[in-house]
Amino acid sequence: MLQLLLFNVTNGVIIGAFYVLMALGLSLILNLSNVINFAHGGFLVVGGYIAYTITPYVGFWGALLIAPPLTAVIGLVVERILIRPLYGRDPLYSLLLTFGLAFILEDGTRFIWGAQGKPVSVPPLLSQPLSYDFFFITGYRLFMVVMVIVAVGVLFALLRYSRLGIRIRAGTLDLETVSALGVNVRTLRSLNFAAGIFLAGLSGVLAAGQLGLEPTMGAGLLMPSFIAIIVGGVGSLTGTLLGGLLIGVASGVTAVFLPAASEAIMYVLMAVVLLVRPRGLLGEEGMMT
Amino acid sequence: MDKIGQLNRRTVLKTALAASVAQVASPFVIRARAADAIRIGMVDPLTGVYAAVAQNEVIGAKFAVEQINAKGGVMGRPLELLVEDSANDVGTGVQKTRKLIERDNVQFIIGDVNSGVAQAMAQVTNEKKVLHVVSGGHTDGITGKDCKWNVYRVCNTTRAEANSVSELLFKNYGKKWHFITPDYAFGHTLQQAAAANLQKLGGTITGNELAPLGTADFSAYLIKARAANPDVLLVLPQGSDMVNCLKQIAQFGIDKQIHVAGLQQELESLEAMPPEARVGVWMFEWYWKQPNTPGLDQFVAEIRKRSGGKVPTARTWFGYTSVWTYALAANHEKSLDGVKLAKALGNFELPPEVKLQPNKVYYREGDHQLMTTAFVGKALQKAAGDPEDLFQVDSMVAGDQVNPPVSETGCTLQWPA
Repeated sequence: MLQLLLFNVTNGVIIGAFYVLMALGLSLILNLSNVINFAHGGFLVVGGYIAYTITPYVGFWGALLIAPPLTAVIGLVVERILIRPLYGRDPLYSLLLTFGLAFILEDGTRFIWGAQGKPVSVPPLLSQPLSYDFFFITGYRLFMVVMVIVAVGVLFALLRYSRLGIRIRAGTLDLETVSALGVNVRTLRSLNFAAGIFLAGLSGVLAAGQLGLEPTMGAGLLMPSFIAIIVGGVGSLTGTLLGGLLIGVASGVTAVFLPAASEAIMYVLMAVVLLVRPRGLLGEEGMMT
Repeated sequence: MDKIGQLNRRTVLKTALAASVAQVASPFVIRARAADAIRIGMVDPLTGVYAAVAQNEVIGAKFAVEQINAKGGVMGRPLELLVEDSANDVGTGVQKTRKLIERDNVQFIIGDVNSGVAQAMAQVTNEKKVLHVVSGGHTDGITGKDCKWNVYRVCNTTRAEANSVSELLFKNYGKKWHFITPDYAFGHTLQQAAAANLQKLGGTITGNELAPLGTADFSAYLIKARAANPDVLLVLPQGSDMVNCLKQIAQFGIDKQIHVAGLQQELESLEAMPPEARVGVWMFEWYWKQPNTPGLDQFVAEIRKRSGGKVPTARTWFGYTSVWTYALAANHEKSLDGVKLAKALGNFELPPEVKLQPNKVYYREGDHQLMTTAFVGKALQKAAGDPEDLFQVDSMVAGDQVNPPVSETGCTLQWPA
């Protein structure tokens, strides 16, 4: 029993790491621009399908490098044309827009690549379990965790040390003052949105290797990411990181005792956090008002 | 308001006007057409997780309409097929069914892939006394305790699927079974049927993992399943859930330690998997490669022309057979009356050019379930010749042998006075 529990905690961390990657992108966009991006799952799927399309020409590693920036470019165009006009308005407008956009992206991928799922193979190097006992730790899953750590490390370093990152963090706290100091807020928001979508694209490529591709797969991966943000606290990227890992582990441990509730436990956790500490674990009071 | 606001208002007014004109105008079009064509309606989830299988049902149905019209239609009148998207949602499915019957005056309804939607649609068609063939919803109730005089079903019950594989698995692979079951009506009935068979055979269940619909990561269930050390691991989720589950089984190497199998398998799912995930013993409800089946090669060739080179799947055949069922019954009875046609379909046997499989294929009078052949065999990692030949059929069992007798289905048909 203890072994089973240990296995599932480890496994939960692996799953949680993936939620973190997805949730960080969402969180970036939400914090700076107050846009609840319901289309994030759609961008994930687009990223995965782009990787699928270019893999025959550039291989898995090439696709991993090229697909996320391409997705970010699509995100940039969408931000410029559709989302920018809504910045001054109530967040409800952008929520409705991205909600619709999620359907358009899903139907768009279905139209282009077909409704039938696409098989995606990972390099043979990564497709084996590392050991007989820890059969659930495959090379690919370990690789995913490493990728998440790298992406999170780079993101946090950029936010802390680069000029753009410092502006994004400042804008999250007080966009008006940042604007008054002469920073071009439009460009700042665009780049920030693109960075968020880049993470969605990266999640898509990684998810494709793990799960295969299907036009509807984004929706199922989106909800845990929202929960991660709420549990961790809106406005705090470290909170999002913590929230993602926490729900992954909670879901893994629940699967040992009550498998049918492994999904529901995430919502229970969210409800408890909202009741006891409405701002989330590391969230700041008064965000999202 | 500024100028843009005014323009917007005008556009809205214009659109509203155009829409109302269209509303008034459209009934004339419908009446003009209704005089010659016989309209039939199909409701299927063209969007959502079942989109791939639903689209194949539509391809089959359209081809059947084409064939029927080329052969002179139904009582000399052409068929016109209207397809609606249920979006995998009960409310939408019911609304579209009502629209087809009330506004478009369809004489016959086909659908849905989703069992829950199909059951709700059956309520509507029953109330409206319209003949209804359920093309792809498998839950037992449709031809069991919730059966209706106007509802027939082409695809199998979950009981029949479990019966076709259970004995083989028990004999060849062992008596300790572990289940991964999708946590909704379809999964529950499928698992219960297999568990009942296992008990009869004298085996034991080491566990049953209920996985919510839409589970993307099955690792936690697989860790538990392997720890229980069963002889056979039965994977019951369908569609993308099954693809995810089998992919992870292959990545974890579980298929090399435990026999992996399942009950229902579909070509759409096998094609969405990388080769290493295509493992196990399964049942197909129809397969495009069979020895010496008259008309089959031509059917495959014709479908390939209409689906961008893809072969027909069981779903294509479901759609095809559903439409042919109506045409055959109506031409036989020389009537479009729902009650008359429903009566005529009792024990109605499909001709070779429609059934496209061995054994007698007929609608059972007592529960309105089509008795079809079960194709039992293995998933192939390496395609046998044609890239879409991903299943090796080992045996083709007649529907009468895998379906429980009518007395056990719980169906009592109530005919209108």
